[in-house]
Amino acid sequence: MTTTVKARLLIVDDEVQILRLLRHSLEAEGYEVHEAKNGLSGIKKAAAIHPDGIILDLSLPDLDGLKVLERLREWSPVPVLILSVRDSMNDITSALDAGADDYLTKPFHERELLSRVRAILRRSQVVSQPAVARFGDVEVDPNARLVRRGGQEVHLTVKEYAMLLLLLQHRGRVVTHRYILRALWGPEAEEDTNYLRAYIIRLRQKLETNPSVPQYLLTEPGIGYRLTEE
Amino acid sequence: MVTPPSHSNQLKPQTSAGQRINSVTPLRFEEAQPSGWREYLLVAGVIAALTGAGLLLPESYYVQVGLLYLLAINLLSLRVGRAPILTAGILAAFCWDFLFVPPYFNFAIYNLEDILLLITYFVVALVAGQLTARIRAQARNERLRQERATALFQFTRVLAEAKTLDEAANMAVRHMNDLLGVQTALVFTRENTLELEPPAPASFAIDGNELQSATTALSSRQSVGRFTEVQSNAVGYYLPLVREEQVFGVLGIKIPPGKILTNGQKELLEAFSQQLALMIERARLRAAGEREKLLAESEKLHRALLESVSHELRTPLAVIMATCDKFSNYNSDNYAGFVAEIRTAGMRLTHLVGNLLDQTRLDSGPLKPHLDWCDPRDLINAALRGAAGALVNHPLEIMVSDDMPLVRIDFALAEHMLVNLLLNAALHTPAGTPVSIIAGLDAASARVFFAVADRGPGFPALLREQLFKKFVRGEAAPSGGLGLGLSIVRGFTLAQGGEVVLGDNPGGGAKITLYLPHFVAKNSPPE
Repeated sequence: MTTTVKARLLIVDDEVQILRLLRHSLEAEGYEVHEAKNGLSGIKKAAAIHPDGIILDLSLPDLDGLKVLERLREWSPVPVLILSVRDSMNDITSALDAGADDYLTKPFHERELLSRVRAILRRSQVVSQPAVARFGDVEVDPNARLVRRGGQEVHLTVKEYAMLLLLLQHRGRVVTHRYILRALWGPEAEEDTNYLRAYIIRLRQKLETNPSVPQYLLTEPGIGYRLTEE
Repeated sequence: MVTPPSHSNQLKPQTSAGQRINSVTPLRFEEAQPSGWREYLLVAGVIAALTGAGLLLPESYYVQVGLLYLLAINLLSLRVGRAPILTAGILAAFCWDFLFVPPYFNFAIYNLEDILLLITYFVVALVAGQLTARIRAQARNERLRQERATALFQFTRVLAEAKTLDEAANMAVRHMNDLLGVQTALVFTRENTLELEPPAPASFAIDGNELQSATTALSSRQSVGRFTEVQSNAVGYYLPLVREEQVFGVLGIKIPPGKILTNGQKELLEAFSQQLALMIERARLRAAGEREKLLAESEKLHRALLESVSHELRTPLAVIMATCDKFSNYNSDNYAGFVAEIRTAGMRLTHLVGNLLDQTRLDSGPLKPHLDWCDPRDLINAALRGAAGALVNHPLEIMVSDDMPLVRIDFALAEHMLVNLLLNAALHTPAGTPVSIIAGLDAASARVFFAVADRGPGFPALLREQLFKKFVRGEAAPSGGLGLGLSIVRGFTLAQGGEVVLGDNPGGGAKITLYLPHFVAKNSPPE
């Protein structure tokens, strides 16, 4: 990565081997890496060094990772990626609801980790004007409210377009069902996940080359959807 | 069948308790014929004595004798009832007129004053009798009410002091026996049924006809037996213990022959039965609450244990897998093969750990599936990703019927189920043979199904039932795996209200079908 200013990352994890591995991978990408081995020192370090992003484990020796996240969110909007062996949907959604930006379960692939880190760091960058976004042969121009696929204009309904835009704004990061439902249909629709399935199927049919095996509009089972970066 | 309680259960009134409650004996059951003749005797005696005394006085004192009669009647009215006092009035009037008013030994009266005095007698006797009778009735009612309140208070205190339901029931029976001078029996229903439990503490046996009466009281929720209109030939009087539409048992009272049950006593017994019902309800709620708490506690413990085991097993695996990633970055041909070996072993271990944890979850109590809508294609894609490494040597066929609806399932459980089936198919069939996934809607049974079919040797007929058991593996199975896969598949399917069917793939091979309940999505999304 060829950033002029190195992004500063804080890893909160009590496993030495994981810390070493993460440090190695992230430093190779040009990040400045700091470590904390428990929740409380993680919070202190976050206050001291003002990291651009935090990688947080949920199983910590002193505080539960969720508690650490809640305490952080009391004063800091810093992007947080959860990296944990806990893989139940309950754990993941409660972490996302508590303010985590994304989630990755161990064991993980290095490539995936790096792409998640890039995605959460991008959130803090201010986008002055929405640019034209591309994935596959699809082109989305938010200024003209235009969606093209292979040069051909694709007609999207209002809600379909709104959902696509929502995923684009959070590109590379997971967007929870609840978040989408609330944004598109209001808080009373939070439980109506069948709406979402129907819409994402329609979006895939219009935008994916093979709607049954989507390449871009990915499902995060039980949690939400993610629009891939590449 | 409710049998008479054993001797140890037979309750005898305790002397100490009996003496304590003796102050409320008026609550005891009265004789069938109230004895009024004593009052008439008293009235006759007093009038006779007064008449005798009056005869000793000089004749000119006859007006004063009349006043003495009046005084006596007033005093008598404090002791005797309305009819005896009226009798006393008439008796006194006749005696006075006949013996004291001139002309003597004659009922004739010539003096206007004497006539007036005679009339006054009747009126005063009537009014005094009426008034005092009313006051006495009021006082009596007041006393009864107070006694009833005291009795009820003592009863609730007895119930409150008991630590267990059995103890409370024992004490209640003993208390009622002492208080009312009767024999009492309590029978409880089995929880949420109308069946009677084997006998609770009782001082008389409820059996035969009596049991029938008790059961009738239970089902009709009315008092049954002696002193009622239903089955009044029964020996006992039976009250259902009802609280908020629920019947908790029957209170049986056996009253000594020749005694009667007054309305006041009926009311008191009803109040007792309400207290008893309240007590049983409370005890049952408390027991249910404790059970619930225990269950939640053990579930919490299990979860914590699973979580820490899972953490300890998966963290080193994560390190191994991430290190493999690093190695492959160096792209060294010499070692690429070895790294791939490590990675394959790591994946196998990851899967094994997952299965062991799943099986532990299944064994540690009822699994609560987290149902949500999902696109069946998403599920199949996720399962294929999960089993990707094992399926490289098998061509895949995916057939999702066009009428396949959205399904409402626990995605994580369903994904594990399908991954297990795919891995099984890959493991037990020769390389190069196809594996297919079929999904559709079974309209006949209103269920959705996911099936994994292969072209391998199929299931050995003898082993079919065994295959769902833990740690059972086919004889011809190649090494690898613990034999947990199908057991987990079945456990997860049952937890979601589904069914697993082992079958043959038409044209050769095995086919396992998962049937899951089909829920119809209620409304289409608004635009």
